[in-house]
Amino acid sequence: MSWLERVSAGAETAPSGGRSKRRVFGLLPWVLLALALLLVVSQVRRPALLVEVWVPWIEVGILAFVMTAIILTGGIDLSVGSMVALTGMVQAVLWQDWGWSIEAAAGGALLAGAMAGGVNGFLVIAGLSPLVATLATMALYRGLAITVAGGDRITGFPQSFLDMGRLLGIPSQFWLAGLVLVGMVVLVHHSRFGRWCFAMGDNRQAARFAAVPVNKVEGVLYTINGLVAASVAVLGAMRHDASIPDAHIGTELQVIACVVVGGTLITGGRGSVLRSLLGLAVISHLDVGLQFLSSRLVWLTAESRLIAIGILLILVAVWNQRSQKES
Amino acid sequence: MENDDNPILQAVNIRRTYPGVVALGGVSLELNPGEVHALVGENGAGKSTLIKIICGALAPDSGELFFQGRAVAWPNPVAARTRGIVTVHQEPELFPTLSVAENMAMASGLPLRGSGLVDWKRVNRQARETVRQIGERIDVRQPASRLSVAHRQMIQVAAAILQNARVVVLDEPTSALSEEEARWLFQQIERLKAGGAGILYISHRQEEIFRLSDRITVLRDGLRVWTRARQAVGPEETIEAMVGRPASTVGASRSSQPDSPTPKEGPVRLQVSGFTDRIGRFRQIDLEVGSGEIVGIYGLVGAGRSEFARGVFGLRPADGLVRIDGNPCEIRRPREALQAGIAYVPEDRLSQGLCLGLPVRSNAVLSTLRRWTRGLLASRTREQQATRQVAGRLAVRYRSTEQPVQQLSGGNQQKVVLGRWLLAQPKVLILDEPTRGVDVGAKAEIHRHLRLLAGEGCAILLISSELPEVMEHADRVVVFREGEIAGEFDPRQTGPARVAAVALPRQSTEELSAAEARSAGSRARGRSFNELALLLCVAGLGLWLTVSTEGFSLLNLLTHASLWAILGLAAASVIIGRGIDISIGSMVALSAASAAMVLKLPYSAEILIPVAILAGLLAGTAAGVLNSVLALLGGLHPIVVTLGTLTIYRGLVIAMLGGKPMTGLPPEFGRLAIDPATGFRGSVAVAVLVVLLVYLWMAHTRSGRQVYALGSSPRAAGLLGLSRARLWPVTFGLGGLLAGVAGVLQLSMGQQMQARLGAGWELSAIAVAVIGGVGITGGRGTVLGVVLGALLLRLVNSALVRWGVSDQQTDLVVGSLILAALLLDLAWRGWKR
Repeated sequence: MSWLERVSAGAETAPSGGRSKRRVFGLLPWVLLALALLLVVSQVRRPALLVEVWVPWIEVGILAFVMTAIILTGGIDLSVGSMVALTGMVQAVLWQDWGWSIEAAAGGALLAGAMAGGVNGFLVIAGLSPLVATLATMALYRGLAITVAGGDRITGFPQSFLDMGRLLGIPSQFWLAGLVLVGMVVLVHHSRFGRWCFAMGDNRQAARFAAVPVNKVEGVLYTINGLVAASVAVLGAMRHDASIPDAHIGTELQVIACVVVGGTLITGGRGSVLRSLLGLAVISHLDVGLQFLSSRLVWLTAESRLIAIGILLILVAVWNQRSQKES
Repeated sequence: MENDDNPILQAVNIRRTYPGVVALGGVSLELNPGEVHALVGENGAGKSTLIKIICGALAPDSGELFFQGRAVAWPNPVAARTRGIVTVHQEPELFPTLSVAENMAMASGLPLRGSGLVDWKRVNRQARETVRQIGERIDVRQPASRLSVAHRQMIQVAAAILQNARVVVLDEPTSALSEEEARWLFQQIERLKAGGAGILYISHRQEEIFRLSDRITVLRDGLRVWTRARQAVGPEETIEAMVGRPASTVGASRSSQPDSPTPKEGPVRLQVSGFTDRIGRFRQIDLEVGSGEIVGIYGLVGAGRSEFARGVFGLRPADGLVRIDGNPCEIRRPREALQAGIAYVPEDRLSQGLCLGLPVRSNAVLSTLRRWTRGLLASRTREQQATRQVAGRLAVRYRSTEQPVQQLSGGNQQKVVLGRWLLAQPKVLILDEPTRGVDVGAKAEIHRHLRLLAGEGCAILLISSELPEVMEHADRVVVFREGEIAGEFDPRQTGPARVAAVALPRQSTEELSAAEARSAGSRARGRSFNELALLLCVAGLGLWLTVSTEGFSLLNLLTHASLWAILGLAAASVIIGRGIDISIGSMVALSAASAAMVLKLPYSAEILIPVAILAGLLAGTAAGVLNSVLALLGGLHPIVVTLGTLTIYRGLVIAMLGGKPMTGLPPEFGRLAIDPATGFRGSVAVAVLVVLLVYLWMAHTRSGRQVYALGSSPRAAGLLGLSRARLWPVTFGLGGLLAGVAGVLQLSMGQQMQARLGAGWELSAIAVAVIGGVGITGGRGTVLGVVLGALLLRLVNSALVRWGVSDQQTDLVVGSLILAALLLDLAWRGWKR
């Protein structure tokens, strides 16, 4: 394996090429985005349809904006998908079986989300590795989501509730995404809290020794994540008129993929929320574009979309890694 | 035998450059047998690079190395060590999760028996002999993380003697040693010298250099200034040569500083009374520090000085009263200490002081962020202004406020940490070893600033294990001994010898280490508690199910558990080597699909089955190896890579199946896993074989132990020439191979192949490993534990079915089990804080 050693050593000691090279490297995601956009636009006949097609990816994006902050601190939350499913079921059960009004049930779902996130935060603060702790709660919350209603989906929400699924003719998910995006950009990049996140991700112990309230930061972030997951669940119920216990399986991986493609370091300490938006844009455009294309090209099937996204993820991640080394 | 006139080690014109920096610009050095050769220079002069080249951790760009008269080029540090070049690094790099004995043997390669397996008896025997050399009682089977830094260094020196080393490189060997331990070290150096070994001695401490060395070589900016006999030079000359300017301009001791104020009796700023640590590292400490006073705290390593400082700063729980300016303060966490006006510069700059990847600005303003925010928003401009102001005051050398702090030299980094606390305008400043590993110039500047700060009314606690530092710079010296204050001195009226004598422990080290050994013994038992508890759970639950349930078949249970044991081992082998693979489920599907494709070929079953099995295993292995290669070549975190390949492999599977499940496999193939005619469970047999082989490999072979070493500490492994590039293809490949075994078994049991096969299994596999006690951060875990974890998981599942809980709730069970296992483990190891 000595050739491998040589190659990887070469990568580490590559001469720095200065700023111009870094710019070229940084451009790649934009180029990919443009290509993917071209792909989509060339396929679309009815733009209104496009908005609808995009909703699942917007949901992923909403979660990715919060996940960026968590990953920046050196953490991760694998349980997001399960939290969305669980809170959706909580809302439905509160409404259907407990006779709560649908608004109160939605509030209950948000509370449940905050609690589920809070439990994640507590486990991480207690000293468990975030990866393992949220792996456990991912299974746990999914199990609860299936248990609360015996594994059945719940439908038939009141029309007034379903009407809130759109605001000014646009699916509410888009509005939530905007809100969360602005909120997280301010929180992460323009506040004291955000500075703490970066410091913790770079060196948790040093941050603690510098009087950064690491436990508070983690508790708050994981709770926000639960809360946002619950919001996604409530809006999802409006849109589909259903709460589904096995919804959002595998969403956590899509969310993490967006963050990584955006260039946030998976080990923390470096990254940005806006770049996760870029990551979301690249992945979703590619996916939607290929979806449209596949209706015309027989050989372009579901599996080639999977493979294309996997390869894209690795390529962009390598590219980001290289460009960061250059700087 | 070598001739005494010829150098034993000779470096000729060694050059080594890093990107943008010439670390060594053609340095030559000769080391004679029976000689102590001191190597001195400021930080960044090239000493560490030269040592690394000599010990084989780094290859020179050009130049030659001669050992015993022959030109050599070390492929890795182990090669140099086996030829007799022993290096004791400044902070000995250890594998914290491996035993002391294994750590000692790892450096020169684990001894093997005739069968090719590791000879553990010999490993432990050699270790005990080495420990006897130091005259201390240390349990060599305890994990190395329990050793103090002093013991680590002493053990390495003792090992060098036993190994009959020809060249011993000592890098700042006394930085963590007490005076007594240092004396022991100097005796050993004499012993090595008398035995004809050549010793290369690197130190910042002038008095040691002039006491020990025969010759001195000074390096500056990657070049050799001169090499002279010790008798021919004086300390001033050496310092001049190191810094490149006259010695009189360096150093700012009390004597050389005319404006040094005599300590005025200012009001008491910090008053600590009855301060006691929760676990007894310090007891009943009463201490007062006045405004403008510098109080030195001296004591041996382990005397409780740093623990005391952290207690005051709220980093560890302690009882007692702290008053600032007479007001009692309750300090339970660093923020409260900061608000009370206490600042703490920690002893380890790199791991406790700095966020190395962040810019100078972020590091400097980290503790005072609120002051630089405008309204609710942080302001980068104001942060930069603050950084420039404090960096200017401390004369930090840096290019820009946005430059990553890791690019700064050690002294400047320390100034950034100091600057962070200056911005907080503390009333009380505690500094823990502020000048360790800092060059002479920066050291003097730091001391000058301490005096200035005191002049502004700050109360300063200066903790140091360098007696001259506290004697020279403190107004009052407090000596810590075994967690208590043993004495208080005026350094102007007391000789250093008296202070040092007070610091020596009353309890003999013999007794102390016996006590340590006892507690370590109980901890060692604690480690196997994990497996014992698992075993009890498994046995109890299994027994209860067998007795209480009709139709409960242990064999069925084993059949299912065997699959999970194999998958758990797949996850564990990767995790123990500090990797992670979340594409296991997709790899299972990929190998099952490959086997299924072969089985559908139009040939007879006898030919197809072996080929199909082979194809399945190959596909899994190839996928695993590909994961590691992508991670290594791309420089990516394995989570990212396997997140990508997870979808790629799944896509391949769907493509191979063409969208339809594959059925109608030959019935002979189905009989491999379970033969209904004879009742033979092939899957159990395979699992037993796999478990045995993996156990042999992980616990009893060199390469298996190297995987543990890599997972335990990648840095220490790097010093032994063990890299991820060498080991990850093996661990990831093994993970893939085992996933392949599981895939083929599952195909045989299920008799059909569908696209979702194995989806989500990666999480269950990791769950089995974690329940079995595998540490997610690497280097920890056993094969037995994983097998027990798999059994437990299946048993709990069966028990739930027995209780009438539906099969759908597997997730709930898995989740709660992982959590329970983790929380138990956490409770057992004691809460982190």
